[in-house]
Parts: sequence; C-alpha cells; structure tokens
Amino acid sequence: MIDITDVLWVPAIFIIMGLLTIPVVRKIRTQNTRREPLLVGWLLLVFFICFVFIARLTFKYFNLEPIVPFININLSGEGLLIFSSSFLVDALSIYIMIIFIGIGVVIALHTALTVRDEEQTSERYYSLMIIVIGCLIGAALAGDLLTLFIFWEASSAGAAFLMLYRKTPRSVHATLKFMVMIIIGSSFIVYGLSLLFSIAGTLNYWEVKNVLISFDDKALLLVAFAFVGGGYAIEAAIVPFHLWLPDAYTEAPASSSAFLSGLIDQGSYYILLRVLIYILTPNQVIDWTTTIAIFALITMVVGNLRALMEKNVKRLIAYVCIADVGYNLIAISSMTSLGVMANLYFFLVGGITTALAFMSVGILNRFGFHSLDDFNGLGKTAPWTSFGLVFGMLSFAGIPPFAGFIAKYMLFTSAIEGGMSWLAVAGVTVSVIQAAYLLRLLNRMFGKTPSKIIEFKERKTQLIPIFIFGVVLIVIGIFPTIILNLIQPVVMELTHIP
Amino acid sequence: MDVILKMEVLLITLVLFTIAIPTTYFAERKHPGAGAAILSLVAMFSLILILSTIPSIVDPANNYRYLETYYWIPEINASFSLFLDGISLSLASIALVIIAAVSTYSHDYMQDRKNTDQYYALTTLLSLGLMGIFITSNLLLFYFFWELILLPSYFIIGEWGSNDSYGIAFKFIIITHAGAVLVLLGIGTAFVETGSLNIFQVQSILTSMQSGITIWMLIALTIGFAVKLAVVPAHIWLPDTYSEAPAPMSALLGGVMTTAGAYGILRLSLGMVYSTLNSIVFKLSFIHILAIFGVASALFGSLLAISEKDVNRLLAYSSISHMGYVVFGLSLFPNPLAIIAVVLHLLNHGISKGLFFLSTGEIVKQTGTRIMDDIGGVGSQMPITGTGAAIAALSIGGVPPFACFISEFFIFISAFQVVGLDSFYLVPTILMLSVNVFSLAYSTKFVGSVLLGPVKNNQLHEKSKAIIAVAVILVSLIIIIGLLPTIFTEFIGLVSFQN
Repeated sequence: MIDITDVLWVPAIFIIMGLLTIPVVRKIRTQNTRREPLLVGWLLLVFFICFVFIARLTFKYFNLEPIVPFININLSGEGLLIFSSSFLVDALSIYIMIIFIGIGVVIALHTALTVRDEEQTSERYYSLMIIVIGCLIGAALAGDLLTLFIFWEASSAGAAFLMLYRKTPRSVHATLKFMVMIIIGSSFIVYGLSLLFSIAGTLNYWEVKNVLISFDDKALLLVAFAFVGGGYAIEAAIVPFHLWLPDAYTEAPASSSAFLSGLIDQGSYYILLRVLIYILTPNQVIDWTTTIAIFALITMVVGNLRALMEKNVKRLIAYVCIADVGYNLIAISSMTSLGVMANLYFFLVGGITTALAFMSVGILNRFGFHSLDDFNGLGKTAPWTSFGLVFGMLSFAGIPPFAGFIAKYMLFTSAIEGGMSWLAVAGVTVSVIQAAYLLRLLNRMFGKTPSKIIEFKERKTQLIPIFIFGVVLIVIGIFPTIILNLIQPVVMELTHIP
Repeated sequence: MDVILKMEVLLITLVLFTIAIPTTYFAERKHPGAGAAILSLVAMFSLILILSTIPSIVDPANNYRYLETYYWIPEINASFSLFLDGISLSLASIALVIIAAVSTYSHDYMQDRKNTDQYYALTTLLSLGLMGIFITSNLLLFYFFWELILLPSYFIIGEWGSNDSYGIAFKFIIITHAGAVLVLLGIGTAFVETGSLNIFQVQSILTSMQSGITIWMLIALTIGFAVKLAVVPAHIWLPDTYSEAPAPMSALLGGVMTTAGAYGILRLSLGMVYSTLNSIVFKLSFIHILAIFGVASALFGSLLAISEKDVNRLLAYSSISHMGYVVFGLSLFPNPLAIIAVVLHLLNHGISKGLFFLSTGEIVKQTGTRIMDDIGGVGSQMPITGTGAAIAALSIGGVPPFACFISEFFIFISAFQVVGLDSFYLVPTILMLSVNVFSLAYSTKFVGSVLLGPVKNNQLHEKSKAIIAVAVILVSLIIIIGLLPTIFTEFIGLVSFQN
C-alpha cells in the first residue's frame, strides 16, 4: 500500500538534500586539492539517495496487488476532501520522475565539471538545481490543480534564479522578462483556477473532471480554460507567448540553459499534455484540438524560421527549443495513442537533445566562440565537443539513427492518424528547413576554415556528460523499444480514461 | 525450413559491417592499408553469405523469398525484418561487388591522403547503409538505412573531395534529405492506413482497401526516390557531387546509391502502392508522366554529356542519362520483361559505371587534369586501366557484347510490347532509341580523345595494382553478363510482389 509519506518523501528528499548541499559544497570549496572529484562525488551521492526514494515508490507501485492504474492520495481525511492537497501516482508520473532525475544528474555533473571557481560558483547554485528538480517531481506527482500550481511556480521561481546566476546586466534583463511573463502567466492560471473552483467546488483532478463532463455552460468553461491554457502556454513558450525564451536561454549560463530546456520545458509540456488535455478537457468537455493544431503550426514555423535567420548559435538552439514545443503540440493535438507515445518519447529525447546542445555550445562559448562565423572550422580545432554538438543537431534534424528520428516519425504519423495530414505535411516541411540550418552549422564546423584563431584545449572530463547524452541518443534511437516499453502502460492508461 | 534458413545470414551480414566500422578505423591507424583489406574481405564474405540463400529463394514454397525477422519495436508494429528475393539479391550482390572493388582501389587512390582511418570507417558505414536498403522489408528500417548514407557521404565528399567540396556535399545532403522526408511522409501514411510497416503486408492490405490517400502516398514516395535517382529536374545535386567527390566515392554513389533510388521506386512506389490502385485513369497518367520524365532525363543527360569537356562531369551526366533509361523502363510496369530489364540494367550500369569512375579516377589522378583535351593516348601507356575504361565506356555507350547493351535491348523489347497495348509509348520509345545514339557518341568521344589519340601526358604508367585487379574482375563481369544474360534474368524473374 502506498501512503502519503511514500509520496511526500520524494520531493522532500530533494529539498532536504538540496539544503544539505549548501554546507557540504561550501566545505568542499575551501579545500585546495581535489575539489572537482569531491564535488562530483557529492552530487552523485545526492542523486543516488534521491533515486533510492524514487525507486522505492516505483517498486511499491508496480508491486501493488491488485493492479491499480491511478493511485490518488489525499493529505487530509475524508471530510475535508475538497480542500485537501492530493497526489497522484501512476505510470506516467513515475516515467516523468525517472526522466527528470536521469537528465538532472547528467546536467548537474556537467555543471560541476565545467563551471570553474573563477566564475564564483556558489554552493547555492547546486542546491537550487536539486531543489528545482524536487519541485518538478512534486508537480509530476500532484493530484490537484493547486498542488500542481504551487510546485510548478516554485520550480519557475527557482529557474529564474538559475538564469540570473551570472548577474550580467543582460541576464538580469532577461530574467526580468522571464519573471514578468511568468507572473502574468501565473495570474492567468490563478484566475482560471478560481473560475474552475467556483464551477466544481474542488480542484482535485478527478472531481473536477467529473463535474466538468456534466457541466452545460460551455462558454464559462471556455473562459476558464482559456485562462488556464493561456497561462501554461506562456510558461511553455508557445508562440506568440514565446518572447521570453530566447533571451532567457541565451543570457543564462549554459548549464542553466541546459537545465531549463532539459527539465523545465519538458515539465511544462507534461502539464499541457496531462492536465489540460487528458484530465481536464477530454473531447466530451471541450474540443480544442484544432486550436492546438494551429498553435502547433505557428510555433513550429516561427521557431524554425527564426532559427534559420539567427546568427548567434546559442540563440539558435533556443529557437530550436521553441520549434520543439511546436512538435510536441502536434502530438498533443492528434489525440491518438500513437500521439501520446510520441509525446512521452519526445519528452525524453527533446530534453536530452536540447540539454546536450546547450552543454556543448556552452563549452564552446567559454572559449569565445559565439556567432555562426566563429563556429567555422571548429570541427578541426575542437573535434570532440563539436561531435557532441553534431549528435544533438542530427537528433534535432531527425536523421537516423539518432533518437530524434523515431520521435519525429511518431509525431508526424500520429498527426496523419489524427486526421490532420496537413499538419504532418507542414511539420515535415519545416523539418526540412530545420535540417537545413542545422546541417549548415555542421557544414561551417567541418567544412570551413576557422575565421577566429583561439588557442584552447578541450578538457576530457567536460566531455563525459556530453557523451553520456550522445550515446543515450544513439542507443534509444536504434532500440527505442527500451523507452517505449516503459511508455506503453502509460499510453494505455491515458487513452482509456473512463 | 532447412538448415540454410536457420543461419541468419542477413543479420550476420549487417553485424559484420557494423563491427567493421571501428575495426577498419583502428586497423588503418596501426597499419595503413589494412582498412581497405578488411572492408573488401567483409564485402566478399557477405557476398558469399547472401549468395548462400539462393536455394531458398528459388523455392516456390517460400514464395521466392528468403525471410528473417527479429524483435525491434513492437510498440509501433515494426520488426527488424530482412528479406531477399531475386531483385534484392541481385542488387545487393552487385552493391557488395562494387563495395569490394571500391575499397580495394581506395587502398591505392587514398594512399597519399590524410586521415584514411576516418575514410575507411565512413566508407564502411556508407556500405552498411547501402547494403541495408536492399535487404529489408520493413519500411522504417528501410528509411533508417536510406538516411544512414547521408552523413558518411557528406563527410567523404567534403573531406576528400576537390574544389569547394564541403559546399557541394552540403548541397547534396540537403537536397537528398528533402527528398527523403517525402519518403518518410509516404511511409507514415502507409503505416496509418494499414497499421503495418511490412512492405508485403502493406501491399496486401492496400489491395483490399482503397482510400483516396493512397494516391498521395504514391506521389510522395515517387518524388522522394526520384530525387535520389536524379531524375530531371531533381538532378541539380548530381553533376557537382559526382565530379568533385573522390573517385571511389563517385563509384559508390553512381554505381550503388542511384540504384537504391531506382530500387525504391520499383519496390515501394510501384510494387507496394501502385499495383494496388484501382483507378485506371490515374494509373495510366502516372506511368505516362514517369515515362516523360525518364525520356527527359535520358535526353538531357546524354546531350550534356556530349558537350562536356570535363571527364568526371561527362560521367555524371551519363549517370543522369542512364537513370532516364531506368525510369523509362520503370514506367513500363507491370510488364514482367520490363522489370527484369530494369533490374538487369541497374546491375550492368552499376558495374560499368563503377569501373568507369574507378579507372578514370586513376587516369585523372596520374595526369592531374580532368579536361579531356589535355589528356590523350592513355591507352598506350596504361594498357590495363585503359582497357578497363574503354570497356566500361563502351558498355555505358550500349555497344554489344558488353553488359549495358543487353539490358537496354531488353528495355526496348518490352517497350515495343507495351507500345502494342498503349500507343502513348510510341514517341517516348523512339526518343529513347535516339538517346542510344547520343550515348554512343559521348562514350566514343571519351575513348577517342582520352584513351586513343596522340600522347599528351608523359610518365603515365600502371602504378596501381589494385586498379588492375578491379578492372580484370569487373571487365569479366561486364562481358559475362553481356554474353550470358539469361543466368541473371531467369533469377531476377523469380519475383513476386504479392504477399
């Protein structure tokens, strides 16, 4: 039997370990020698301890007799159910937890290995990273809209600090932009939630859903969902609410960009998929798949065209992230089981790929390579880092054997299956544009002579996290069934909601 | 099921090539030249392996097919299914022969180049992709191999090519990738329509179930493949790519990759989708358009080849022209003789063009120029390479008794058969016959000015032993097929497109 403590411990352990990190890393930094291995060792220990708790919950869930797809756990007793904070454990939240901790540990390693002391890394950075992962996992486990909102906003606030970290005037500006957008988004969400609460009298997913299915005043519902959806659209950077993203990701330190794109972004798609579409608005309530499809199209086109025109490589990757939002929306809008599968697979692949790209671009940025012209000939001078970036780019472009290919194949196929061939055709077309600008970057890196000679040496240890991701991309690209096996029960569960 | 069926030869072949990628890399690093040897050996061994499936292919009980199926992605109904039938086996064997020849000759051609370790690893990866295309019956796997050839080709052309090679490689990769996503769209549609990714299952399901989208599937697949096949007007990537790529790479691209494009049209567009259509009007107009494009490519390629002064570009344009023959032959589908003729022509063209590229590669490497006016009398100084080049040129020019003549002859015979049923084909056939004359013109031009004529370059001699070996083997193949085509045609004929 899974009880509330099992569930609560999972986000809690992240927060506890995150807080513990502050004194420990401070101690490590006062050491003169072996700072790096100690830091890496500590981070691995932290993630291992957190993983133990996740694994415990996972085993308990899969060993349940009889098998229960959804486990709804309330904080308070029966009487006060409508006000109670509740949690939800199912195959999907477990899958998301595992993705988050897996991507999170590699990004944390990357941070520990690349960020040098001269940049005044403080222990608070690592601590914040771990706590934000905890909050994201809390959001994945949330069982009512308020709990979700709290955890999600907590992780957004943490994300703002991760962005601000370098404290350059431009990053302050970008963070402000992000904060303003997020606050607008959250206020929309709060307003929408209050409307929902007044309709349903509760915020628990299932209760709300039951009430909504029998609720007749579609106009009011539409208003409520427009606010909630608009709020989350801002946070997921769906065009036209995407303006904060390129600035934020470009000005943030690379490790933060990797973290934001790899985890926070995927978290926001998760909310879109899970909460808005499959729990709150199945077709019986409101059919807004066409609306989402149109947003998907706009997001893909704008993201890819801006990336095509972009000269700064890090900003280019940020636009690719926006394009990825569009691809995700394709699958969400298709409302088919293949679409769900594509989406969940894409969470992982997109997270890894964007994180990989930001990590390798971050390393190259450190040596002073920023614009497309600077990247000329880098394949010769920094072969290994460039290879890491190439892996990421090919996966973005959807070229086999990288995992991005299977993801894109399933996305476009799900659009055809959902009766939206036009969206698939459009997706494939912008995908060619995407391949064009990504391969153009590859061509610059390997085919041109360097325009900027900078003496530098790649450090082998920095490459470890990059190549972990690179190898994972190839392995799950050739054997996607490793991941799809995990997803299969989720798909069953989501598409057969009573 | 007999013993041979249990041997899993196709999987072994793919695994061999996969293992060979790092092996060639490290071997070549330690002992320069070892990479070429390993790749040739792997190719020859794989050839023996796949030829061992012949007994089960000729067995009617197996529906003239040899099948292997492995676990891959059950979630989307994709199994790692490999198969061979008359067509696949012939094309795969020729691909292996050319791969072996190319890697053998690379040993000499790449001797004084840098980073040969990377070159051989990439060539092996490219070979894996090219092999895989012909032997899989799963659409997704097909696409996997189809796109696997992009990157190694890009790097080989870019790194070891000449004159802005990376720019040309970039053009190549972008245009062919754009074609490939159309193929992907077709594959996705096939999956959605039928719920299966197996070529033969899709075919049988589509036969029983017609829907409007099938036509779009056909169009997407055909255009996608036509880009790889360099059918005019999608040929723009080809002349630069073939002429600037290193000679072994051009031989692989010209001999095998374009063949893969034709195979795609034959197997997927025509065999899997077209044959299931009901609408006679659409079917007729589709193949008529195909025929028009074929004739246009053949005329365009051969006329440009005649006026070309650069040896490599002459070869490139002749490839466009010959793919025109192939597309014209494909437009005669489902005439059985036409299918055999097309496959035979792909074999012949692959061998002849492979030899042509390799031997001119040696000539160009020694003379240091590609302009035909500056080369002359090579034949007297390099008798074996010269003879190889001459026979390849004459075969490409359609001169009997060399291989390409016989397959062109078959294509025309089947065209005449079809003319009897469909008078539309009268004009295209006559135009195609005129292309024969142009082909002869550019090949004799090559032979006359490069191989014969006054000696313009001194100090040429047979430096490369590899090209001699390659020339001897490929020339004998050209002559054998030219004289005894029936051994191949009977075998290719044992093909069933139905499930």
